[in-house]
Amino acid sequence: MQKSDYKNMWVYIEHDGKTAAPVGLELCCELRKLCDTTGDKLYAVILGDLPHEECDKVRECGVDGIIYVSGTGYDYFNTDAYANAFTVLSKKYNPSAIFVGGTINGRDFAPRFAVQLDTGCTSDAMELEYDPETGDIQFIEPAVGGKIMAVITVPVLRPQVGTIRPGTFKYAPTGRKAEIDVICEEINFDPEAIRCKHIDFTPDDIDPELDIANADCIVCVGNGLKDSEHLERYRELARLLGGKIGCTRPLFDRGILPYKLQIGQSGVMVKTKLYISFGVSGAVNHTAGVDADLFIAVDKNPEAQIFNYCDYGIVGDMDQVCDEMIEQLKARQK
Amino acid sequence: MLKILVCVKQIPDVDLVKMDPETGNLVRAGVPTLTNPLDLNALEAAVRVKEQYGGEVTLITMGPPMAESTLRECLAVGGDDAILISGRPFGGADTLSTSYSIVKAADMKGKFDLIFCGKESLDGATGQMASQLAERFDASQISCCYSIERIADGRIRAVRALEDGKETVEATLPCLLTVEKDNFYGRLPNLKAYLDAKSAPITTYTENDIDGLDLNKIGVPGSGTIVPKIYPPELPEPGQIISTGSAKSDARRLVEILAEKGSI
Repeated sequence: MQKSDYKNMWVYIEHDGKTAAPVGLELCCELRKLCDTTGDKLYAVILGDLPHEECDKVRECGVDGIIYVSGTGYDYFNTDAYANAFTVLSKKYNPSAIFVGGTINGRDFAPRFAVQLDTGCTSDAMELEYDPETGDIQFIEPAVGGKIMAVITVPVLRPQVGTIRPGTFKYAPTGRKAEIDVICEEINFDPEAIRCKHIDFTPDDIDPELDIANADCIVCVGNGLKDSEHLERYRELARLLGGKIGCTRPLFDRGILPYKLQIGQSGVMVKTKLYISFGVSGAVNHTAGVDADLFIAVDKNPEAQIFNYCDYGIVGDMDQVCDEMIEQLKARQK
Repeated sequence: MLKILVCVKQIPDVDLVKMDPETGNLVRAGVPTLTNPLDLNALEAAVRVKEQYGGEVTLITMGPPMAESTLRECLAVGGDDAILISGRPFGGADTLSTSYSIVKAADMKGKFDLIFCGKESLDGATGQMASQLAERFDASQISCCYSIERIADGRIRAVRALEDGKETVEATLPCLLTVEKDNFYGRLPNLKAYLDAKSAPITTYTENDIDGLDLNKIGVPGSGTIVPKIYPPELPEPGQIISTGSAKSDARRLVEILAEKGSI
């Protein structure tokens, strides 16, 4: 088969049986635009039961069709049945591309069905473009720690598989199409053949300090931090500003702060009113995760890329600036 | 006795890799290498399983001859033997072809019960290798393993760390696991192990040594993806630098700005 024989783009709608995860809707919205360029039809793929009102949310994102998959094996996420469903569907319908939200489970099964289909898989694209000459999607993503942007394509094989991190694209539904193609497929996967079985699930305790996605103010500490003993002043500054503390990847790697505080493409995407970074270099992977009304950067390196993203910057010693800010804020509060 | 495989990767220190502004190529020459940090968590998990349940830990990597130093580093921590897949035809591989090469090479040493991988590498950072290896090993997979509860009767029970909680799962062997670092901080080798590892034998496989290897499935020809272009990220115009050289006056100015903007 020629690659031109593969048509239409699919989005996997991840859900927990009650609600659709935002990332699937975000992907539908973004791919609506891409499909308008390529002339492909956009299909959402839903495995297992999802309430009508949630399916309506998918329709509002401008999809041309929905593929509903029923059958055994989809009660709870498992790699075997989920990967199998996409392999079976893809062999039957030959889509040009399949997009899966880059959640933990999405990243678990998408690369696996890519191997079953013997095709190329990309992860973490931040932009999607179409090359009309080759008919390939250009998956554009930061690489080498955010120093460069790389264009990645699947030049020969089909479907083009991509996992995309939640929050990468905006949820901006364009409204439902007058006609939506509804396809119902029954694909049974023997529950006994599921090799990794769900036993139980315990939700994490909710710690408000670890919930920073929509905090009004974030004090973000980067790799410029000398050690964990120097961290307390940043916590104090965050408290004085009524905000929360966040960090960049190296601080998680160094074991200083937990993963849930890691801001950026591979961590939490934050939307905040005030964002102040201390000792953050400004790699694209991090800045892609920051949406701030007011962005302030403090770093000792005048060449740091972070100064390209800030509204106001201070070149200086992060600890000293933080201490002085604490003094000033305390003085104002008296 | 459990046969355990640990997949490791030698990576360039990404903080030191630069892009040549003239040619647009990545400059790796002279850049120090290290063992991908998350792979050391995978190794730690494997060594603990070996200590508790008995077994043999084999390390495997693919890369240039210098990747041997990563294998020796891991042998010192706890590996029993090591495989290096090396040869020009393997170069330029994406995850589709790398996973093929690794599984074909590992098959030379028999069937493994458990395969451990780091969650992702710091350089490529696709996080895809583990799932693709699991598929090619025809193994079950437990990604983001937070703790291992028990291994018995051909099954492994473990806890996965998901976005909002912990999921307990039970999988049949063979099983591939990717490991969260929280509970698997890597140990340091003792001096004797370190010295022993320096002279430990390492099996090197070239493309000619691996049974049934399809040369069309390795390296560039076997890759599903290509990177036709790299370029520096487009940077926005710099913000206003307000520093004067004095932390005190800079902080005062900053607090004034916060007040003007209504942030405080």
